[in-house]
Amino acid sequence: MSRYLLLASCLLLLLTACHDEPEWPNNAQGNFDALWTIMDEHYSFFDYKDVDWDEVGARYRAQLTSNMTSQELFDLCGDMLKELRDGHTNLIATHDVSRYWIWEQYPENYNERLVNENYLHFDYRQTSGITYYVLENNIGYMRYANFTSGIGEGNLDHVLSYLAACDGLIIDVRSNGGGYLTNVETLVSRFIGERTLAGSISHKRGKGHNDFSKPYLYYFEPTKNHVHYLKPVVVLANRGSFSATNNFVAIMKSLPQVTVVGDTTGGGSGLPFTSELPNGWRVRFSSCPIAGPDGEISEFGTAPDMRIDLLDADVARGHDTMLDKAVEILIAKQ
Amino acid sequence: MTIRLRHRVLAAILGCALWNTAAATDSTEVVRPVLSMFMFDVGRAHVLDTYLTPITYRGVGVRLGYEHSQVTKFAPSAWLRQLAVDIEYNPARNAAKNNTMHDATLQARFGMMRRWEGLFHPNLQLMVGPMTQLRGGGIYNGANSNNVVSVKAHWAVGAQGMAIWKTHWGAKPLSFRYNAALPIVGVFFSPEYDESYYEIYLGNHKHLAHCGWWGNRFDLTQSLCADLRLGGTILRIGYRNRLERSWVNHLNTHITTHSFVIGIGGEFFTRGPHYNDKAPVKSVY
Repeated sequence: MSRYLLLASCLLLLLTACHDEPEWPNNAQGNFDALWTIMDEHYSFFDYKDVDWDEVGARYRAQLTSNMTSQELFDLCGDMLKELRDGHTNLIATHDVSRYWIWEQYPENYNERLVNENYLHFDYRQTSGITYYVLENNIGYMRYANFTSGIGEGNLDHVLSYLAACDGLIIDVRSNGGGYLTNVETLVSRFIGERTLAGSISHKRGKGHNDFSKPYLYYFEPTKNHVHYLKPVVVLANRGSFSATNNFVAIMKSLPQVTVVGDTTGGGSGLPFTSELPNGWRVRFSSCPIAGPDGEISEFGTAPDMRIDLLDADVARGHDTMLDKAVEILIAKQ
Repeated sequence: MTIRLRHRVLAAILGCALWNTAAATDSTEVVRPVLSMFMFDVGRAHVLDTYLTPITYRGVGVRLGYEHSQVTKFAPSAWLRQLAVDIEYNPARNAAKNNTMHDATLQARFGMMRRWEGLFHPNLQLMVGPMTQLRGGGIYNGANSNNVVSVKAHWAVGAQGMAIWKTHWGAKPLSFRYNAALPIVGVFFSPEYDESYYEIYLGNHKHLAHCGWWGNRFDLTQSLCADLRLGGTILRIGYRNRLERSWVNHLNTHITTHSFVIGIGGEFFTRGPHYNDKAPVKSVY
């Protein structure tokens, strides 16, 4: 009897011991290995971006030295992550955040003061992070600067009721760096009249680079008993329209009454997860690929229907080239 | 003897025959006192959840527990039923001391145990029997982005046992008890490897429920306590250990707690108008 008990105890210990996690030492080598392994097992766009992570790891590992400073290690690790060309991938320490924010190198294509002064005349209304106004020619304008700003359904009713009589609506999400995807659903649901395919999402099921689940198609429903706007809409976007904003633009672009004007968005179609290294640095990375309604992953951005930049000459005379084009498109659709 | 009392005695005799136990067969009323214990634990907690981080967090955790034990109606000298409800909170820090994870659990366990008194020694009482356990909670890591929380939920059936050694400390009754609960099979929740809760929110509920067995989940709660009776009050001190492991979808969860237990409680029973005040009442716990 006691032999069986001993055997059962050993078996239980074996079962639990089989699944111990690796513990990396808190030194340059250990932290580097932890970072490389976390990315190797969780990052979702290696093949999409044609990145040979083994080669990248070998190249940067060769630069490790046992006496390197914390700053030197941070820079080395940050440079390695930049090889992924991913705005969602950051190494976060108490003193710095490594980043690949390529949109900073493109024309900004947005000037808040220019719009507020010459189009909204500093007389705009604002609620739930949305700035709104009726422009000349009876065109509605609403700017949503950040998808982290919670949108109340009641607030949105006020905004869209106020703009309901307008012949067209401009939604300005230029330089909107993203936020919560639930706010994307809240906003898009006001511009659809029926159940609409919003895209698909998948996730990794294992540690292999291509261990993805079958993409799950998801749909948005029109919000019941709330105000909707189904007249022509122009969405203004630029390279700073990133992450959740990129997702918003991709979905809106698929709607028949919507025209996307401006520049290609900044992309960022992987839902980011976070992990950490033994020294307490955190690493954020793209984890769950999200495709638009067309089935395409827009990691490098969503192209506009009409490409246009903000011209300096127009700015000098108080005009927003992109906003003017949006008004022109909406007037033409009347 | 009233008709009602005759029925009680008859029921007691039938119960004895059915369960083949040495139940009370004389005219002694079978009272079934309730042992109620309230406990507070404090101790070390180790928390690892690879959905959130590959780093093990450590900290000081606390628990509030309640235990309700009573012999059964059908075979009072042979079977005991026990209900235990716990709420546990383990804030734990990483080794770099720059982040805290919060592990919170609410658990209810109900079981019945067959009792053997004086089987190997007059002072020893052994109990073993089936139990069912429902546990829910989660681990929250506020520094993360879309993997900010790991929800925990499981239901299982298994075994629990207790060994009680009764002695005295001076004139005060003192008992030492070892108690263990071991789920064997059940159902538990886990997202897939890198599945986001946003995807679950969108409606993808596939592969979230898992059949739990010792091949993917091991869970043991055990305690060793000393109960000292001071009149109608029982004081408890002891040690409690919870070991929880799961490994599914390439995700590992390890939660270990080692706690110091203090508790207070007592035995309570309700006496109806037909009970004889002179009847002896003997504790079975």
